[in-house]
This record gives sequence, structure tokens and C-alpha cells, in this order.
Amino acid sequence: MDEKHLTPEESLLLITKTIEETKKRFEENGHIIILWGTLTFIVFLSQYVLVFLGLYKIFDIMWTCILFPLGGIYTFIYVRRKVQKENIPTTIIGRIIGTMGWVFGLNLMILGFLFGHQLDKAAAPIFLILFALFMIMTGVSLKFKPLTIGGILLNLIGFGTFLINTDYYGLSMMIGSVVGLIIPGILLNRADRKENV
Amino acid sequence: MFNELDPILHSQLRLSIVSILMTVDEANFTFIQETTKAAAGNVSIQIRKLQDAGYVKVKKTFKNNYPNTTLSITSKGMKAFEDYVNNLKKYINPKE
Repeated sequence: MDEKHLTPEESLLLITKTIEETKKRFEENGHIIILWGTLTFIVFLSQYVLVFLGLYKIFDIMWTCILFPLGGIYTFIYVRRKVQKENIPTTIIGRIIGTMGWVFGLNLMILGFLFGHQLDKAAAPIFLILFALFMIMTGVSLKFKPLTIGGILLNLIGFGTFLINTDYYGLSMMIGSVVGLIIPGILLNRADRKENV
Repeated sequence: MFNELDPILHSQLRLSIVSILMTVDEANFTFIQETTKAAAGNVSIQIRKLQDAGYVKVKKTFKNNYPNTTLSITSKGMKAFEDYVNNLKKYINPKE
């Protein structure tokens, strides 16, 4: 960058351009949201298949115990590598979303594995509502409407789940993961790619 | 009557560095160099000037055995940037 005398207009333009360029460098790409949506979808789809095959009691808990912690480990490594590789700076919004993600994730894991039996039938709708809160807050923080709308729909699906037969809870989780996580995640990914072209 | 623009900020590279730091909590040297697309030596000189003016805080640590310089804006730097932008607006639109 060569030094030259700046006019007031050039100075303002330089400030605007630099701020835009900086923001572009640490935009979310939706990868992790798609991952968790897909994991949730696979786990609950597999439950239906296992029930159909009569293997539900043997494999269900093992499947859940393997996939979700693996997702957690992958998320940790992905975020750490991305920050280190791309020299991503820390921002207030980034810190809030990051902390919220880990706090929500850990709470969901603890609720699911340690207190799942106490939650009993309420577990699925409560998980959907917690996922929804995270998505709404992330959408508002990133100012990305599809995430917020996806979160609101997920929230409604969560409350709606209380009203249906427990046999359909898995189906509700699958629809919730597609509507609230996978579709908004893909849209975020597309928006990120378009801006980086 | 126009106020004089802050000479520390009224420089292309220093203004870019401060603009970046206004957007983030803190950023490392490599990020600033990549975003401004300026030479490392030039970035170092301008950071030193901003540091001497009390506008930025420089923290030197080690990351994976490599030196890691992290920068953040000070409250004095924030105030100077706000004043600078307000003065710019007056230059562009004196009636405001």
C-alpha cells in the first residue's frame, strides 16, 4: 500500500472498504450448522430403521454415543484449525456465538446422556427448543435472516412436538434438523461463497 | 471552520490499520498485513507510530514456537478515530 495524500472522500471510502474487507475475512460459512443438522437427521433416521429391523435396543444408544461426540470432536478441531490457519481475529460477535455454541452443546450432551431418563418424553421437544434458541440468537447476531427464520420454525416444531404422539418424535426431530439447521446452513454457505467470488 | 484532521490517522496505511482494529477485538500482525496488502516492514513502521501515539496496544507472545504480535485499539485510539470520522463528515458536508 503506497502512501499518498488522501482527500476526505478517499479517507471515508478507505475506512468503509477496509471494514468490509475485514468483515468478509471472518464470515461464517454454515459448515458446522449443516454438520449438526445432518448428524441429528442421521441419528433419528437410523432409529426408525433400527426399530423396523428390531435392533433398536442394541444399537440406538451406541449409535448416538458415537456420532454426537464425534461431531463435537470434529467441531472443536475444525474451529481451532480455521482460526489458526486463517489468522482469524477475535470479535465480540464471534466470541458470543462461539461461547454460546459450546455452552449449548455441552448442556445438550449432559441433558441427553445423564438426565435423558428424567426428561423422558419431553427430551425431544426440549432439545428442539434449545437448538432453536441457539439458531435464533446466531441468526440475529450474524444478521442473516434464513438462520433466524429457520430457528423460529424449529422453535414452533419443538412446541408442536409436545402435541403429537411419541411415536412421531423422531420424525419431528428429522423435520426440525432439515428446516432449522440443514437448509439455513446451506443458504449461509451459498451467501458466503457469493461474497467471496 | 474546519478542524485539522489528525495527522496520525490521516495516512492511508495507518487509517486502514485503525479501521481494521475498530472492527475486531484484536487481530494479529499477519491478518493486518494480509488485509491491507502492505509490506511487512511498512506495516511495522506504521504500527510503531500508532503505538507511540497511544492509539494501539501491541502484545508480543509466542504461538507454536513462532513470535505472534497481537494488536488492539485503545480507548484513546477509538476516540481519535471517532473525532477523525466526524471531522471528515464536516469536510464533505459543511452544512451538517
